Amino acid sequence: MTGMLKRVYEPALWFAGLLIVWEVLVRAFDVQSFILPAPSVFLVRIFHDFDRLLLQGAITTKLILYGFVAGTIPGVVLGYLIASFRICERLLYPLVVFIQGLPKITLAPLLLVWFGFSDFPKILLTSLITFFPILVDSVAGFKSMDRRHYYLSRSMGASGWQTFWRFQLPSAAPNIFSGLKITIVIAVTVVIVVEWLNSNNGLGHVVLRAMDSHDTPLIFAVLVVASTIGVFLNYGIVVLENVLLPWRRGVEDNA
Amino acid sequence: MRANGQERAADTGASIAGRGIKKVFGTGPSAHHALGPIDLDVKPGEFVSLIGPSGCGKSTTMLLVAGLEKTTEGKIEIDGVPLSAPLSEVGIVFQDHLLLEFRTAIRNVMLQQEIRRLDRQELRERADALFEKLGLTGAENRYPWQLSGGMRQRVSIARALVHQPSMLLMDEPFGALDAITRTQIRHDLEMLWLETRKTVLFITHSIEEAVGLSDRVLVMSDGPGKIVDEIHIDLPRPRPAHLGDYPDFAQYAQRVYTTFEKLGIYKFK
Repeated sequence: MTGMLKRVYEPALWFAGLLIVWEVLVRAFDVQSFILPAPSVFLVRIFHDFDRLLLQGAITTKLILYGFVAGTIPGVVLGYLIASFRICERLLYPLVVFIQGLPKITLAPLLLVWFGFSDFPKILLTSLITFFPILVDSVAGFKSMDRRHYYLSRSMGASGWQTFWRFQLPSAAPNIFSGLKITIVIAVTVVIVVEWLNSNNGLGHVVLRAMDSHDTPLIFAVLVVASTIGVFLNYGIVVLENVLLPWRRGVEDNA
Repeated sequence: MRANGQERAADTGASIAGRGIKKVFGTGPSAHHALGPIDLDVKPGEFVSLIGPSGCGKSTTMLLVAGLEKTTEGKIEIDGVPLSAPLSEVGIVFQDHLLLEFRTAIRNVMLQQEIRRLDRQELRERADALFEKLGLTGAENRYPWQLSGGMRQRVSIARALVHQPSMLLMDEPFGALDAITRTQIRHDLEMLWLETRKTVLFITHSIEEAVGLSDRVLVMSDGPGKIVDEIHIDLPRPRPAHLGDYPDFAQYAQRVYTTFEKLGIYKFK
């Protein structure tokens, strides 16, 4: 228990110290707020604009989750197929490698031309970008199963379904979760960037408007909100992992 | 479930009869002739070891008997029935425990019950009994990473026995354990076997294990795998920790060493 408390309050203390130094420096050198606002200024700004940030943050979070789920599920399914069936590997993997080399964020203008002013292109791009890392981790996860586990499952007379649920999926799960933890944060970035390009709401839109009016404290306020969303979503996945994969709790290499 | 459709008492083993068994992996220029042709006969309830150098086809022989790999030539009969699919009435122990890391010890054993859809209560009672005999009581709810190497292998043995198979196939089961643990677990396996008399095909590198456990030792050579000697081990059971107590042990061991020397496996100067 004391260990956990230490894990929380030590970084919190560091963080608070950093903010204080920042505050003192900004005040000492009389830096103007539109260049670098003091923490007190933008933290107060969060409370001042709380309703708006909450609403816009919720809109962005919804897109993040939709895109993330829409990328994750096909990623895991295709990962299973590529790892399990030679024919899928031969047909699909070269294509996957090729598309993976493409900087997918550059597809944003194209998708906006095609699908216009709606949530759909944002969700699509987010799912595309989360899809590939999850796919790669799933392939690695499903391939990590020892060949002799297949011998064991066959000698037990396990059906394909039993082999999948009792051997393959749990074997692949740690890899899949490490992919999820990384891509959820990428998804936050992607949604905000796409909101810059074409949106009349969401945190990306708020940032863009703040930039136009040289409202630097608001930009910082949005940064704080966005990173809070990222931290909570990441934490949500860690909690999910602990619930679904209880054996991982306490395993030393649990990153 | 019985291979031959007849009822067999729960405490007897199956017979193995292999004729001209040959295994070639791959085809064309990359083909690898791993084994045979060999004949292999194991009586019901017999404890037979296969001993030989690495790559002599011992593990392949085991996989063929389990029906997990297909013979290239020859045929294998289990209880007089030709093998055509993976043998179900079997327990397998590999060198690595191959426990599922996401299941506790007891749930690894109960996997047999879940997949084979056997009676939960009955299997749990048998699992508990096996845990007690194998010194695993108290370790039921631990995950594999919380167990020592010896305990993991004991759980693996419990998993191979809980569904009361007629045959136990073991591929260097103690190969990764330290010498002290190995001697104890060898004795514990022997006691379990004396109780149930399952047919055991035991693959090993260790002359001491082979002689210490078996009714019969088959010595194999490599390239491709052949059975080159057969030794009946006529020592009383249960056998002691220190096999040197038997004067005969030295003779049996000597015979294996001599065979290996003749084959050029040992090159002592």
